[in-house]
Amino acid sequence: MSSPIDAALAGPGSPRIRAGRPATRWTWLVLALVAPAAFLTVVIQVYPTLYSFYLSFGEVKAGKVALVGLDNYAWVFSSPKFWQSTQVTIVYGAAFVLLTFAIAMALALAFNSRIRGKGFYLTVIFVPWILSEITSGVIWRWMFLRDYGVLQNLLGPLFGDVTILATPVGAITVLVASNVWKSVAFALLLLLTALQTISTEIDEAARLDGAGLFRRLASITLPLIRPTATVVIAFMAIQAVNSIGMVMSVTEGGPGSSTEILSLFMYRQAMDFGKFGVGSAVAVVMFFVNLVFALTYLRALSKQSALGGR
Amino acid sequence: MAPARLRGALLHVLLMLTAAAFVFPVLYVVVVSLRPAGEGLSAGLFGGSLDLSHYETLLSGRRFPVAILNTAITSVGGALLTASACTIAAFALSRGEPTRLQRALLSAFLLLMMLPGLTNIIPLYKMASDLGLLNSYASLIIAFGGLGVPLGVWIMKGFFDAIPREIEEAAAIDGASRWQTLAQVIVPIALPAILANLLINIVYNWNNFFLPLMFTTQADRKVATVALFDYQVAYANTQNELVAAACVLIMIPPVVLFIAMRKRFMSGLAEGATKG
Repeated sequence: MSSPIDAALAGPGSPRIRAGRPATRWTWLVLALVAPAAFLTVVIQVYPTLYSFYLSFGEVKAGKVALVGLDNYAWVFSSPKFWQSTQVTIVYGAAFVLLTFAIAMALALAFNSRIRGKGFYLTVIFVPWILSEITSGVIWRWMFLRDYGVLQNLLGPLFGDVTILATPVGAITVLVASNVWKSVAFALLLLLTALQTISTEIDEAARLDGAGLFRRLASITLPLIRPTATVVIAFMAIQAVNSIGMVMSVTEGGPGSSTEILSLFMYRQAMDFGKFGVGSAVAVVMFFVNLVFALTYLRALSKQSALGGR
Repeated sequence: MAPARLRGALLHVLLMLTAAAFVFPVLYVVVVSLRPAGEGLSAGLFGGSLDLSHYETLLSGRRFPVAILNTAITSVGGALLTASACTIAAFALSRGEPTRLQRALLSAFLLLMMLPGLTNIIPLYKMASDLGLLNSYASLIIAFGGLGVPLGVWIMKGFFDAIPREIEEAAAIDGASRWQTLAQVIVPIALPAILANLLINIVYNWNNFFLPLMFTTQADRKVATVALFDYQVAYANTQNELVAAACVLIMIPPVVLFIAMRKRFMSGLAEGATKG
């Protein structure tokens, strides 16, 4: 009668465990039950991350890794293409995060009022988020096909009959728009959940005192949901750095390399040019960027739970 | 109150326009997939003739059904792996006053959730290739299984935390053994959450494009998203309507699952992402 499940149900504070059983038993039990999940994440996430650090100091030839010291990093940091790619990633990422946040926030405020049909609108807005990056990418690419795509036919003539995806500015705009379209729903969900937990009394009082919508938003609502807002922004930033399916199908990094964001640069170095070491060095740089955002996210989360909200 | 009613109506109009903008690309691809080859939207959104031949071509061929089957096997397999590992892990992590170990493990999963797999793609590719696992279901199932774990643990933990301890105690007082309590009380209560976790992961795996792109080179092992990418490269400009039909077929299962389970789906996601 001392199966793991037994003790798990009993918990560490239960008499069954206190009576004569060492406290370490609970520790072993937790470890045993967490082991499969931990094993999977170690194999798929932790070990590969360490391995990418190792690969970034080496070169892969005929399946064997030969260490080359800092050569890959030297190559990466002196490559104009890397810096151009970084620049594209920053422009794309900033535009994506700002627009997604602004639209999601506006929609969350609208949904937070007593309107009918909320569930319906929310479901519809969620559909893009449920689609695969590649399906979305294919659709967006098409809407801008020359002489075929509905948005190309509509918008192209407005700008002097250009092929929108053939211009660098047009291509990055479409890339941002398609990613915003896909991600708004998730940001909206988190912001709406946060809005529903804050009291409306202060806002109401300020409204009666004659404070306008933007004033109340800036001095009351946003400060109140600040931890969640930070969570959303960190989430979106990570997504911007790590999206690749959309850019591969919408613009393929073009025209030229004007939309080649870092993830695509990494992929091409490794898979198209066979430079696994260089690709890994880029991956390590991206890993640290991710880490900064992830830690920001964790800090915001702990603040959020300290405030007692979700 | 006329102004209030006016504002309400205005809000509805705005939301309707927004919803239309969001759904338009999806509607567009559905309409295009039903048009004769090369016609596209030239006859307008609702005009033109209906043509089901692209669906027929895809479904009667060999390649597309095989790709869908590959997707189904790997995404369900991966999700089952994630869901079972997460259920027992989250159970252990939610019971009792949290010990230091439990806190540390939970934080580790949270951090991993925020460190996406993309930067690991090169080592994963090399690992699979060194082990001779490229083009195998096993590699995709294990990879999908692992990628879903961090979010899954948090979704399930949020759920187990919400089960009052009194229910277990009441069952014990009624003379149920601990195994009976687990089988007859906890699992039935947890079933909806396990199902939600399973579905969220099936949808994620179903949609995953990049990992299978790296892991499969053989045509008969490619999953649907990778096949779609190939179609786009091969048929863009010549057979857009066929590619549109492939898009529609690929998006149907996730969209149907989502609409059927939308409440659970959304609360599961919000729970997993913000319940630090």
